Amino acid sequence: MSALAEIEQGIEGLLTQAPYGVDPRQRHDALLALLKQELAYACGRNPRFCNYVEQWPADFRVAEKIADLPYLPVGVFKENPPLALVGDGEVKRTLTSSATTGQSPSRVVLDAATARRMAKGLITIIRDFIGPARRPYLVIDTPENLTAQAEMGARGAAVQGLRSFATEVVSCLRPSPEGDSSIDLEKLLACAAEWKHADVLVYGFTYVIWTYLVEPLRHQGITLGMPNVHVLHSGGWKRLERQAVTRDEFNRGAAAVFGCAAERILDYYGMIENVGVVYPDCAYGNKHAPAFAEIIVRNPLTLAPVRAGEQGLIQVCSVLPTSFPGFLLLTEDLAAVIGGDECPCGRRGISFRFAGRAPKAEARGCGNLETMRYPPLQGTGVA
Amino acid sequence: MSDLIQSMDSPQTIAGAARQLREIARQKAIAPQAVLEVFDQWAAALDDRGGHEAPGMTFLRLWLRRGNLEPVVLRELGANSLNGEWREDGRARLRAFPLGVVGHWPAGNVAIQPILSLTCALLGGNTCLVRVPSRLVSITRQVMDKLQEADRSGGLIERVAMISFDHARMDLHEAMAQAVDGAMIWGGADAVMQVRRLPFPHWARVLVFGPRVSAAIMDAETWGDRTERSSWCRRIARDVWQFDQQACSSPQTLFLERGAGCDPSEFVEDLRQAFQTENRQHPRRQIEPALTSAICLVRASWLLGNAGNRAVFPASPDWTILLGTGEEMPTPTQGRTLSVLVVDDLLKVISKFDGTLQTLGLGIRDVQKEEKLALAAGRHGVDRIVKLGRMHVFSSPWDGTELVRPMVRLVRHVPG
Repeated sequence: MSALAEIEQGIEGLLTQAPYGVDPRQRHDALLALLKQELAYACGRNPRFCNYVEQWPADFRVAEKIADLPYLPVGVFKENPPLALVGDGEVKRTLTSSATTGQSPSRVVLDAATARRMAKGLITIIRDFIGPARRPYLVIDTPENLTAQAEMGARGAAVQGLRSFATEVVSCLRPSPEGDSSIDLEKLLACAAEWKHADVLVYGFTYVIWTYLVEPLRHQGITLGMPNVHVLHSGGWKRLERQAVTRDEFNRGAAAVFGCAAERILDYYGMIENVGVVYPDCAYGNKHAPAFAEIIVRNPLTLAPVRAGEQGLIQVCSVLPTSFPGFLLLTEDLAAVIGGDECPCGRRGISFRFAGRAPKAEARGCGNLETMRYPPLQGTGVA
Repeated sequence: MSDLIQSMDSPQTIAGAARQLREIARQKAIAPQAVLEVFDQWAAALDDRGGHEAPGMTFLRLWLRRGNLEPVVLRELGANSLNGEWREDGRARLRAFPLGVVGHWPAGNVAIQPILSLTCALLGGNTCLVRVPSRLVSITRQVMDKLQEADRSGGLIERVAMISFDHARMDLHEAMAQAVDGAMIWGGADAVMQVRRLPFPHWARVLVFGPRVSAAIMDAETWGDRTERSSWCRRIARDVWQFDQQACSSPQTLFLERGAGCDPSEFVEDLRQAFQTENRQHPRRQIEPALTSAICLVRASWLLGNAGNRAVFPASPDWTILLGTGEEMPTPTQGRTLSVLVVDDLLKVISKFDGTLQTLGLGIRDVQKEEKLALAAGRHGVDRIVKLGRMHVFSSPWDGTELVRPMVRLVRHVPG
């Protein structure tokens, strides 16, 4: 059996387990073994990645903990062309992150197998939170994000990822001529009337739901009367934090507009570099890693894993990708570890809470030079 | 003992403080000699310390000593300037008078900078209005308490008003700028640009320091010498560690001249040991998560960018050595991250400097070669060329500018 086939078999084994029911020790050992195989495979596929791994302070082959394996900072996926373990011909789709102004987006390449596992991973996780049934799917986004494309943004990927829960899909935003969006109220009210008593899945980016649905409907005093919805949202809080919108306020506002209980509003943490793995809040407000992934929170001062009650940088670990080296990624996000294996929701393993983006470093003094005094002259060089 | 740093929250209180300082500057002249005497006692008082020391305190004690500052005054203000009297200048006479009130906007990253900045203006007989960055309030207060102890007559302490206010309060920055006759501005690009835009009076002299970066060069004879190499590496480590590599004089890149029989990996091994030792002696006590991310990213980008690149670093973000080739200085990461680049020709490296390089640290054995490199560096905008291990020694001139003279007026009297 080839190394890749062996890895794929291992991933399938983890994907078919109950996502949050595995004993943490067993899960750790299974993940560690598989991640080592994946690192060795990736080294064979990409000499530059191999160079990084070989110069890591410790040899991954003898590591006894996932935390000791070499991890990449998530920023390396901003490089173009993207860091890959497959040739161009094998790339089925490229996912791009929603970069903030002035920043380059992250890009990850998916081959068919990784794309399939991504979908399966996502379904496995979401099913654990909303149940397996297929149901009407209301997308708080514009129609162009409903169709799969070769190069897809984070919003499109998230919308697409939940399609397998859908019996039918309706998007309720329309693009405006100014390049902005607005709610298609007529369409939305028709859906609300038709699906009044149905179990409905709603998805949108957090700020999109707030800006284009919750706020306008609240101002107009409209309640949709859909008590059985599950509203999933992701994409971060940065824009809403600027507007001083808290999680509680968001949950209350969205629940009031949909006419459902606030517990039906589910925020999840995820990123395109960590394909197929998302971290929804459990009923106790904590997040958990599924059987095929792990979370390590690292102290920024030492990069050692923090203990329960402490905060640090989030490292996401996943066995799912084989088309790019996204197994072990240090993010620029912060989280607090809540506990080891004792969340009352019953999900096993580490529980954590997202604590926001690491604040941009302060201006770093008189050595903080970002511009050249004399930019290089263009077009005057001698060939 | 009164609190020497006042929190201000209205333009009027700042204007009031400046008015008082201006009166003192006009009414009470003080000669450099008298200032030097108090500074010397201040240095001694700082020796009497206990507990943890802020970065740069050892240097501050040396800086304040008369033996250090007297030559600066003599060189900048003239041979007979210590008593503040007239000196002959042909058929005329010259005498240094203070500008008046000098405003200081020090950078937030160098603990002793508010003090260094104000000492320059005090030597010129000025009074000083110093905005202390919030993170430096505590250390500045400790140092100023020692001045209060040393300055028994109070003649110097009354010439200083230290204030703190929220850096985002532009109305307070503006009030401060409008009230001064001179300004000394230190810091990064954004901070400096912001302060420069303030409404200073048209007569105000504005002196700007920063932002700059620094680098080091070593010839093959020096770094290839196994007997002396570890000593050089210790000096480099010291230069990297001071001010957490955030100062304009911190080396970000070390260029090694390629030499037959010299193995850069051996050199990097010695450097690793020096960095480890320095780190044990001066461990980091805190770090911004964003800097940790930047350090992890530069390690990865360096190694992923070229399979021939090498790097040495611990599991923590404590320090990083990136080894490769190339004549261009990589974008600095700071956070004790040193790029070590092997090059064929050091002069070619210098020819690419664009004027942003402040200090060039040297490890050059041959005197004539050093002479040639120093000349080239000066031509390409470098303002300080010093031996490795002495890159942060604050001295006049700094950034190519004198430190005392710009804040005085040289008055010419032609007797009738």
